[in-house]
Amino acid sequence: MTRTTRKLLLPGTLIGLILAVIVLAPVLPLHDVRAMDVPNRFAGPSAAHWLGQDEFGRDVLARLIWGGRASLFIAVGSALSAAVLGTLLGLLGGYFRGVVEALTVRASEVILCLPPLLLALLVVTILGAGTGPLMVALTLLYTPNYARVVYAATLQVRALDFVTAQMAMGAHPLAILWRTILPNVMPPLLVQMSLVVASAMMIESGLSFLGLGVVPPTPSWGLMIRAARGAMEVSPLLLLWPSLALAGTILIFNLLCDRLQAVLDPRNVTAGGALWLRKGPRRAALPAVPAATDGPLLAITDMAISVNTSERSLELVRRADVSVHSGETVALVGESGSGKTLTSLALMGLLPDQLGISRGQALFRGRDGRVTDLAQLDEDGFRRFRGAEISMVFQDAAAALNPVHRIGDQLAEALRDTGDAQEISRRVVDLLRHVGIPDPERRQRAYPHELSGGQRQRAMIALAVANAPRLLIADEPTTALDPTIQAQILHLFQKLKSDTPDMGLIFVTHDLAVVAEIADRVVVMYAGEVVESGPVAQVFARPRHPYTAALIASVPEGAADRLVAIPGTVPPPNAMPPGCRFAPRCAHALPACSAAPPGAERPDPARITRCIRWKEVT
Amino acid sequence: MLRYIAYRSLVALFLVWLVVSLVFLLLHLIPGDPAELLLSQGSLAADPAAVAALRERMGLNDPLWRQYLDHLGGVLTGDLGTSFRDGAPVAEQIALRLPRTLEVIGAATLLAALLGVPLGTYAAVRAGGKADGLLSLLSSIALSTPVFVVGSVAILIFAQKLQWLPAGGFVSFSEDPVQHLKLLILPASAVAISLWAVITRMTRATVIEVLERDYVRTARAKGLSRAPILRRHVVRNAMIPVLTITGLEMGTLIGGTVLVEFVFNWPGLSGYLVSAVDARDYPEVVGIVIVISMLFVFLNLAVDVVNALLDPRISLVKS
Ligand code: SF4
Repeated sequence: MTRTTRKLLLPGTLIGLILAVIVLAPVLPLHDVRAMDVPNRFAGPSAAHWLGQDEFGRDVLARLIWGGRASLFIAVGSALSAAVLGTLLGLLGGYFRGVVEALTVRASEVILCLPPLLLALLVVTILGAGTGPLMVALTLLYTPNYARVVYAATLQVRALDFVTAQMAMGAHPLAILWRTILPNVMPPLLVQMSLVVASAMMIESGLSFLGLGVVPPTPSWGLMIRAARGAMEVSPLLLLWPSLALAGTILIFNLLCDRLQAVLDPRNVTAGGALWLRKGPRRAALPAVPAATDGPLLAITDMAISVNTSERSLELVRRADVSVHSGETVALVGESGSGKTLTSLALMGLLPDQLGISRGQALFRGRDGRVTDLAQLDEDGFRRFRGAEISMVFQDAAAALNPVHRIGDQLAEALRDTGDAQEISRRVVDLLRHVGIPDPERRQRAYPHELSGGQRQRAMIALAVANAPRLLIADEPTTALDPTIQAQILHLFQKLKSDTPDMGLIFVTHDLAVVAEIADRVVVMYAGEVVESGPVAQVFARPRHPYTAALIASVPEGAADRLVAIPGTVPPPNAMPPGCRFAPRCAHALPACSAAPPGAERPDPARITRCIRWKEVT
Repeated sequence: MLRYIAYRSLVALFLVWLVVSLVFLLLHLIPGDPAELLLSQGSLAADPAAVAALRERMGLNDPLWRQYLDHLGGVLTGDLGTSFRDGAPVAEQIALRLPRTLEVIGAATLLAALLGVPLGTYAAVRAGGKADGLLSLLSSIALSTPVFVVGSVAILIFAQKLQWLPAGGFVSFSEDPVQHLKLLILPASAVAISLWAVITRMTRATVIEVLERDYVRTARAKGLSRAPILRRHVVRNAMIPVLTITGLEMGTLIGGTVLVEFVFNWPGLSGYLVSAVDARDYPEVVGIVIVISMLFVFLNLAVDVVNALLDPRISLVKS
């Protein structure tokens, strides 16, 4: 049994059971619904009357079943007729568009201007109470629902190639509608159908309850509840049975609708949530980290980042070795999928929920001189560092800024140890001016969408440097921008560096031209591993790893524009080659390369490469 | 912003016009004579003389366009005709009862939002957990139980068995504020239940979506703690779609008051409508339907405006 059928089994069976009972009502050994037995009015459940007797001594069970027959007959009947009418209107409107659309879909939508129960009441006023008028009202009410669904689906299908081809071949429009479009709109129609039945039952029972729907002596759940209200004190069970039957049946139809939707559109099923929002157990005191009096601002050694699913764990980044001294700019370079963004997110504790640092250390020297291993911190532990000591500029400023808050407010929120409102406002304006936003007094009141792309990125940078962090991480800060703006933003980073000479900067990029311009050292990552690192000038002059060499060769140089793209793609994390991960794409690969992962070699005290053949091939 | 509100108000006015015309058409273009329909009870044929008199009184002998203009003019000047039953001006009755209905709707919305937003947020944060499952079940049941069932069962439990609250009726606030509020609790809660379910579900879904957004990550990167992130960056942003859905639920909400006012003997506009329909009092029904539709349209307008206030991008995109 597939998952789909299993999901639909429960509501499907229940609906089948209900339908079977009400269809078989005439042949079931039930009491006559109208047979009164006044001496035994309000009698409780007995062998002859399983659910007891009502205010006229009639059998409650029989009335419940026959009442359900009336309710469902009206609900399903009007759902079906509305489906036929709505589908017709939707198909015609969606296929012919133009005037036909206005006369069909749009015209039916006028009905939606009235609250549903009100329209039903209006129809009943005109036509009188009873089953017939009720069905007319409900059909009218739900036609636009179907028309909309079918209209939207028709528009979609209409644009498909095979439909256009049929039109071009001169097939009769009706034939096209019937053969190709109708089967395609079936699934959304089914969802709509179960929804409409549930909703029609609500309205039918409501009107019957008001005495404006099903006319006695025909039993109906709404009427039974109405009658039971008068006798609530004597016999509360009389109220309970039809209430349960009504709510239960509607619940089952709603359930069917939910399940159908889930089956047809599996995207919605995945549960989200955010682990960082849940307070975890307090972590034990952090292991003391031996602190040298003098050392780098950040030293990542042998760090690995893994996906932890229940089935297995998979390393997305491993053997990451990066160090940053204060005042130094380190460029983290690689293609997409190289793990450079994950590495930088890990330093902020902002990895997605399923990912975590699974090995290694990331020692960070704080403002107070104490050294902390970032790899050991939890959400609460990170909060002390975020924004204050380590901060980050994200790639897409348009998405990274909250659209509903003013720039100034978002900036003010980031400020630590703030003073009064005036002081905050002054600091916000100063920051905006510092990052080169013109007219900051006015601009601080702007919303993100009112700024240009470049200004948004400047605001994002202002946010990151608000508290003069010791380490700034910039994740592809210029990628989303056009070239002139890119140059300006790069210039801004250079200015920030010279203004705050102690700040360390990690610049994540795939653009080697940018690296040459801004970085002191470069760390090249490939498929989740650091493959080479060293001073920018040296690495560019003489790369010691075939991947770095290929990257440099692929940069278009001036007018020559001799682009040598690296053949192949980065392997997916679940299919990493053994040994050297670059081997499948490497021009110099030997069988030995795939035997074991190459260790770190030092061609020079300041440089590292992970290629066993660096001596021969570079 | 002002331009956006002006634009939305124009749309709302157009919709009101549409409804007024629609109601007019429904009553005049259907086969059969409204006067005869009104006077005939069941299968009994109406007295021809009475029908003729009524036709004259209703202005049915005028040409259709004339009747339509009279009708529109009446609505514009606030003259909704006089009741067949007692000859009282319909507009007066409506003015008396409308605030009571609004009170139930307002109290219900407040209740539903105050409970729905925090619970929906909680369910989203704990998505997939036990509390989430329980809330999802509860909201399904709440959505599936008709409001008059909720009302009737509530009377059974809280008025009859526990005797905590009165079973129904109305006392004006100025007369006895405590009793007034006591009488309000059950009707408002009954209307609130399905709206609560809608708000809870929608809040859960949008909060889950918003949590994935980059700007929430930015808020964390600033070093903010959980509560302000949730308040200012998650719930605040999630409220926009939730409000839109609440607007779409207005129709159900108004329908709910019709039933609830009947169940609890709350002398509001909707209960008045039911008795008017029952008596086939044509001017009353038309008047109330028009006023309730206006209410529907303007509540939707209010939702649109609040939405525009919450989301600065809206006024830019649509106007
Ligand atoms: S180890 Fe072998 S395959 Fe890997 S980069 Fe070096 S030469 Fe190429």
